[in-house]
Amino acid sequence: MRYDVAVIGAGINGVYTALELLDRGIKKIVIIEKNYPGSGGTFRCATGIRASFTSREHVVLMKRSIEKWKELSNRFGFPFVQGGYVWLLSREEHLKNFKEYVRFHHSLGVPTRVVKPDEIKELVPTIRTDTLVAGVHDPIAGKSNPFTALLNVLGYLKKSGVEVRYPEKAEKIIVENGEAKGVLTERERIGAETILVAAGYGSRDILRTCGVDAPINNLPKHALITEKYMEVFKPLLVDWETASYMVQTVSGGFLIGAELEEEYNKPPMNRIEFLYTAVKIWSKYFDWFPSTHIIRYWTGYYVMTPDHHPILGPVKDVEGLYVSTGFSGHGFMIAPAASEAVAEWIVRGKPRIREAENLTIDRFKEGKLIHEIAVFG
Amino acid sequence: MDPRKIIICRCEEVTLADVLEAIEKGYTDLESLKRYLRIGMGPCQGTHCIPIVLRILRRATGKNVGELMLPTSRPPLHPVQAKYFLGGDNH
Repeated sequence: MRYDVAVIGAGINGVYTALELLDRGIKKIVIIEKNYPGSGGTFRCATGIRASFTSREHVVLMKRSIEKWKELSNRFGFPFVQGGYVWLLSREEHLKNFKEYVRFHHSLGVPTRVVKPDEIKELVPTIRTDTLVAGVHDPIAGKSNPFTALLNVLGYLKKSGVEVRYPEKAEKIIVENGEAKGVLTERERIGAETILVAAGYGSRDILRTCGVDAPINNLPKHALITEKYMEVFKPLLVDWETASYMVQTVSGGFLIGAELEEEYNKPPMNRIEFLYTAVKIWSKYFDWFPSTHIIRYWTGYYVMTPDHHPILGPVKDVEGLYVSTGFSGHGFMIAPAASEAVAEWIVRGKPRIREAENLTIDRFKEGKLIHEIAVFG
Repeated sequence: MDPRKIIICRCEEVTLADVLEAIEKGYTDLESLKRYLRIGMGPCQGTHCIPIVLRILRRATGKNVGELMLPTSRPPLHPVQAKYFLGGDNH
């Protein structure tokens, strides 16, 4: 059997792009996954979703994503809670910078605003604010459940005739006369007219088999979760001083990420100091936090590009080859919009959102990196 | 006995009926079953439920254990109160 589209990688972006293609009438789709669906970044992510970024490309795509998160969560019966984000600022100079970001958000229709410590207390019951000068609230941001967000859609795809093969490793992209012809897996040759590489960090190796260089690097990250508790607060919190975040997930556990110094492309390792760092930061804000029970600590990674923006869309040199990777820590939240853009590219030659066209892999060769007014979370 | 009354995962209150239904729906590896049903994601971290689900899954699918994708064990082995990481000499 020859497929219309072969997708390499069953993470949220591969799966959602398959959905967008199916919705556009493409029937013969195969998804090839080397481990299990969601096994890379998707199932390890912080679950947050926001449009308050500092580049036009990110803001426009993430705004579209939020609209689509609402649609998809209704259609496939998984949660999307628009509980907002709150950045906690403990220094005047940070507040000054954030005022500039807020102006930028407003210019693109994202209604963030600076909030005083008293308002933070209303948004985040039980928080201590004595170390804070202010906060920034993004009311349209939210969170979802990566497990059901992926598995419910994948279940629908399988029922609709999409073939999902796992565990099966894609080993080579077959190109003849500059045209993509299929994928060679550890088992067999799979013929396809169009190939989408959505394999996270693995995209680098698989693209190399057809001479395409994707400048992506894996940055190890650390996260923990506590037992489930009743809902205390809805927003995802970012402690700007330490770039640490805390979110009470839709399942009830408090999920925390905190920065440790890491080297690119080293396998993520558990480091006990992560637990000390995370607990110290968040015990300062919540008197009750020391009594919670930590049940799990895991590692993951951000698949980083030089300009911290994803690589999306066609590859100039290979007809029929498309890429969706390098999300630099934001692959889950952007998936609905990125997938829609890639599907539109495949089906009708260009994405509806023009800004997506700035994100093709050729930008690195052409020196057209994305400009951000700040690197922000 | 009614499979709806047999509890497989006490942490997340998952019954035998839930497990069988999920297998029927095509969740035939432990990693996917874990995310779909939340088995192994509560305080016991799978020490009670995963071996039971493994046996059910092996019977239902005929696959051998190596193909069933046993989830990664993550620290801590038992829930630990956050206060034990609050500082002192280690930090």
